[in-house]
Parts: sequence; structure tokens; C-alpha cells
Amino acid sequence: MKKKDIVNYLAVFLFLLPALALFIGILIAPIIKSAYYSLFDWNGMGEMTFLGLANYKELFTSKAIGFIKALGNACILAALSVFIQLPVSLALALALGRGIKGEKPFLSVYFMPVLISTVVIGQLWLKIYNPDYGLLNSALTKLGLENLCRIWLGDKKTALLSVFVPTLWQYVGYHMLLMYAGVKGVSPDIREAAKIDGATEGQVNRYIVIPVIKPILKVSVIFAVTGSLKSFDLIYVLTNGGPLHATEVPSTRMIEMLFQRNRYGMGSTIAVMMIILCFAFALLISKAFKEAD
Amino acid sequence: MKRKLLSLVMAGTMALSLAACGTPAGNTGVGTADPANTPAPAPVDPAAMEEEITLDMWCIATESDSNRHSYEAAIADMAAAYPNITLNWEAFENESYKTKIKAAVSANEMPDIFFTWSCAFLQDFVDAGKVYCLDAAYEEFKDELPESMLGNSTYGGKHYGVPLTMNIVGLFANMDLLKSVGYDEIPGTYEEFIECCDALKAAGIIPFGCAGKETWCVTEYLESVIEKSVGYETLNDIFLGRATWDNADVAAAVDTFQSLVNNGYFDPNGIALGNDEVKANFMDGKYAFYMNGTWNCADFANNEAFFPKVKVAEFPVINADKATLGQLIGGPSDTLAVAASSEHADVAAKYCFELGKLICHYGYLDGCGLPAWTPYGDTSAVNALTQDVAVICGNATGYVLFGDTAMSADDANTYLSYVDLVYGCEVDGQGFIEGLANDIR
Repeated sequence: MKKKDIVNYLAVFLFLLPALALFIGILIAPIIKSAYYSLFDWNGMGEMTFLGLANYKELFTSKAIGFIKALGNACILAALSVFIQLPVSLALALALGRGIKGEKPFLSVYFMPVLISTVVIGQLWLKIYNPDYGLLNSALTKLGLENLCRIWLGDKKTALLSVFVPTLWQYVGYHMLLMYAGVKGVSPDIREAAKIDGATEGQVNRYIVIPVIKPILKVSVIFAVTGSLKSFDLIYVLTNGGPLHATEVPSTRMIEMLFQRNRYGMGSTIAVMMIILCFAFALLISKAFKEAD
Repeated sequence: MKRKLLSLVMAGTMALSLAACGTPAGNTGVGTADPANTPAPAPVDPAAMEEEITLDMWCIATESDSNRHSYEAAIADMAAAYPNITLNWEAFENESYKTKIKAAVSANEMPDIFFTWSCAFLQDFVDAGKVYCLDAAYEEFKDELPESMLGNSTYGGKHYGVPLTMNIVGLFANMDLLKSVGYDEIPGTYEEFIECCDALKAAGIIPFGCAGKETWCVTEYLESVIEKSVGYETLNDIFLGRATWDNADVAAAVDTFQSLVNNGYFDPNGIALGNDEVKANFMDGKYAFYMNGTWNCADFANNEAFFPKVKVAEFPVINADKATLGQLIGGPSDTLAVAASSEHADVAAKYCFELGKLICHYGYLDGCGLPAWTPYGDTSAVNALTQDVAVICGNATGYVLFGDTAMSADDANTYLSYVDLVYGCEVDGQGFIEGLANDIR
């Protein structure tokens, strides 16, 4: 290797060093530390007892921890995100990207829930779902549909869906904005050429716009799936995993293990599993999109 | 007379409480630090109390908390008495505080003085060597704070907490609603109590309000039913790990509780509500009964329209062969402690005692509970409801501390999970005892 190349590599390394240090310090080191704690029985304060992989075994076998059920709920949310939230976002992005009248105000309105604090959204939806004076039950009563009134967040048959609705609603605008940026990036010349050739609006979207924004769709799917696996805040505010653990997701189980049960080892085990699952799903989705290409 | 009654209440209560939850010397669990072998710190140097210092304190006296006023008044008094000591205090919501203080203890970032619950909750911190021993500072206050009061925060024979007030679970009743179905008093026997609930239900009045979203509110009902079915000694033994959960009498008591749920005595909407909402509903006249801590006396007394309607009693006896009136759920749990890592731990310890005494004083006057400290000054303004609680406690024969405070964090949460399942009728009494016998580590 020439001396000049060595100097170049050294310069590159030096410029990358600050970012690398941050990346290791903020992301890699905590993951390694969590993986280390996951091998112990530890209450976060006293002595640590080495358990090996016993926490992982308990995680998948213990009914009391209920990780499998929580993971199942997260997967339902991921499926709803991919098959309901993203199509809605795409439809809105395609509609707004066409340059309809009032494009900017609509864009702001749809994006507004993303800007509002999740705790505020949680409080709003708590009021909507309130069994006594909530908007939903009041509306059903006014429409003569009293038989459909429910204790939406208190009935384990309806709680999961009731929690997922605001979760999906909140991020429709986020995905819409990502896709809208892609749709706007499609050259008007191509659209025009297709229309001159007799393509309908639907055909333009299907054969031109969507294939062009495929990389953005891939990112949206990854965000939706991994976001579902690590969903926490809105569920914590609305039900905190209840009633009867019906709305538990891995994050709520992790918080209970860490801070309510003082089981830092088991909490770290759940954290490690969530990291592994998020990476695995991200890789699978990337591969699926690559094969589709 | 009132003062004499209170003294008797306190002495009796705390002796019973000490027997229930005090940790035998040397038995301190599995932590790294052994409180019994930790040397007691030297008494605080009087000059140290005159230094310009700043202390930090965390507590749960939020704006909506019954104890808020007593904290504010006590802190104002302390600021006047010790102008050289600046106290920065922050209040956090009850449930989130549990998470916050545990995280702070783990990270060794505790404030100088912190609110805690006694027994198992504080024991984890003490076992880890994170709490300052208060033996030396206590010497100065032992005439005003009987040692028996410190039973729930004594580990390995050493004192680690300053108790504030003590509370029990009370059966609060809206007498207007009871009168509307022909009851001038809260029924004294279980049979009459059930008849009263049936009459209320028939009149379209919901007998019980209970916040299913906060499981501790369910335990206020369930633990009372269990205690009045199996007796306080049996329940105490189970909570403190001296006996197994696998007890047929407990299973029968849980079935009794579940029959109250299945009979439609509880507000079905309550499962989705928090305690503040349920309490507001009770004060609005939606429920006839509300079983909860006697710290609520303050809020009830402050509501001029509601206060004349409310009365308090203890839950009636279900099985007279095993339980009697006077067996109560509760005890001194609210406590202040000092972090071992505090830069001014010796000063903070003395400050903590004086502050605790004042919070107790104002809290008692406000009706937030019975005093852990010997009352002083004019206490004639204490509301009638709190005085009734004092009478109930004066007749007490045994106490069982709240289950989620008496048990370790992991066991307590397993227990709460099963309480949820019982309230949701997912498991019956047999499933409850078998599950807990298997799952409690």
C-alpha cells in the first residue's frame, strides 16, 4: 500500500471516528450491556446471580411473563399497520401528490397527529372511549345503536382493537408524508406521457408511481413493522397492558419486569429479544423487496 | 380525651403492626449489604444544621394528592426554621414514582430525601445499601415518635424510615343512597350488608365503585373479604411468606368476593376507570360504597356538599369462626428515607425527622390519616370522619399491611396479576390459590 493511500485511509478514519464513537457509545454498548444483564438474575441494586440462558428459556415458557402473547399482539399490530395503515397512507399520498386543490392544508391536517404528544393523544382517546360520557358511546346512543355501546378499553374482547385504532391513526400522516415526498419526486413528464398514451389515473399510479416509490414503501413497511414490535407509549397511557393483560406488548412486559418486579435480568432479556426481532424483520422485509424486484 | 384515645390507638396499632411486618434482626434478605452489620452513623453536629446547603426531595404529594397541603405547610415551616437549608422538592404521580425511584436507586442518583413505602418496598433499597441508617438521628426524636412506629421500616434492628401517617382500608358509604333504600346506618353484619346491596341494586343504585384499571383498588376489596373470612393472622402469614397460598379458606373467600362481582354489585364501567375517576363518581352519588384508604377522608372533608353524606365503617365479618371485627387492612406505610449517597446525609436525616413530624401533624389535621407521631397542638379541627377512623383503629385487634406493600416487588406483581384475573372472573378461588402457590418465586 502506498504511503498516500495510508494517509488517505487514516484521514477517513479520523473523520469517521467521532461518529463511530457516538454510534458505539449510544447504540452498540447499551445493547452489549443489556445482553450481558440478560444472563443474570438481578434486582437492579444488589448482587447479580449468573443464570446463563435460563432467562431466555423462562421468557418463552412462563405463562406469568406472557411474552408469547405480548409478541402475538405486537404481530397483530404489525399486520394491521402493513395492511391497513400503509394502504390508507398510500392512498392519501397518491391523492395529494396529484396536486389536488387544498393540497397543503390537507397535508398539514393529516400530519397533525404526528406532531401531537402521544400522551395528549392518549388522553383524547381515553375521553372518546370513556364508557360514561365518551364520544363513541354517546354517538352510538344518539344513532339508536345502544346495543353496540361497550366498555371499549375495559372489555378484553374490544380493548386490543380499541388501542390499535389510535396507534394506527396517529402514524398514518407520518407514512403519508414519506410516500408523498416520493410521489412528488415522480417526473410530471412521465405522468403526462402515460396519459397521452391513454393511461387512466389508476394505471399511472399502479404502473409508474408505485414502482418508482418502491424504496420508500420498503422504508415505510420496515418502520411500520419495527414500530409495532416496539410500540409502547400509547398503549401504556390507554390501558397499561390491561384489562387482564389483553393489550400487553413486549415493551409493557419489559417495563413491568424492570421497574415493577425489579427483575432487571428478565427485563434485559426482553429488550434483547426485541432488538433481535426488529433486526430480523428489517432484514426479511429488505430481502422480500429485493426478490420482488 | 381525644388525645388519650389517639395515644391508645397509636400504641396498640403500632404494636400490632410491628408484630406483622417487622424484620427480625439479622434476617435481611439476599442483598449485598447487611443492615445489622452496618455501623450507625454518629449523631449530627449541631453546627452542621447551620451550614448553607441544598437538599433535594422526591415525594408523591402531587397537586391532586390529599397530602399536598400537609407537605406544603410542613415545608414552609421548615424553610422558616432552617433558612440556611434550601429544599428542592418534586412530586410525582404514585405509579410512575415507583418506577422513577427504583431507576434512581439503580443508577445511584437518588435525591437526599425520598418518599417510600415501608416493608418490602424499602427493604430492597436497604438490602442494597442505598439507604442511610437513621438510628443516630432518631435519638433526638424518640420521645415524640415511639419506636414501635418504626417497625415497618426497621431492618436488621436498624431504623431506615421516618413514618408519616398510618391508614387503613375503610368502607365509605353514601348515607343518602343508603337511606333511600331504608338503611340509616352501614349494615353491621355480612348478611345485612348483602341485603343492603340487593336493595340498592333493585333501586338502580350501583353498590360498589372500584377502579379496575388500578389493581391496588381491587385489592382493597379483595383483601378485606379474605381477612374477614380467614382471619388476620392467616392472611399475614401468607403475605409475609410464612404460610403457603394453597389454603382452602382463602379460595372460599376469593369465591365470596367473586360472587359480589357476579351479582352485579360492582360498576361494570369501573374496569376501565382509574381511582380518581371512581372517587369522583362516588362523591357525585353514583355508588353507595367505596372501599379505599382512609387518606380519602381529607378529600371527602374538603367537599362541603358531599361530606355530610359520607360515613366510614369497617367491612363486616364473613366467617365469625375465624375473623372478628377489629381485624383491619392497613398500617403505617408512608415513609420518608434518606439516601446513603447524600452528600449531607447526617443533616438530611435530622431534617427528614423534623419534616416528617410536621407532615404528620398537618396531614392529621387535614384528615389524611392517623398520626404516626405523638399529636401536638390543637387537634380539635380534625374532621369527624378521621375521628371515626381513630375509633375503628382504637378497637383494632390485628392489622395486615396492604399485600402489595408487604410482599417483595416480584411477588407483589404476580399477586396483582392474579387479583386482576379474579376481578375479571378469569380464575376462581381454587385457580387463584393454586396459581399463586406455583408462581410466587
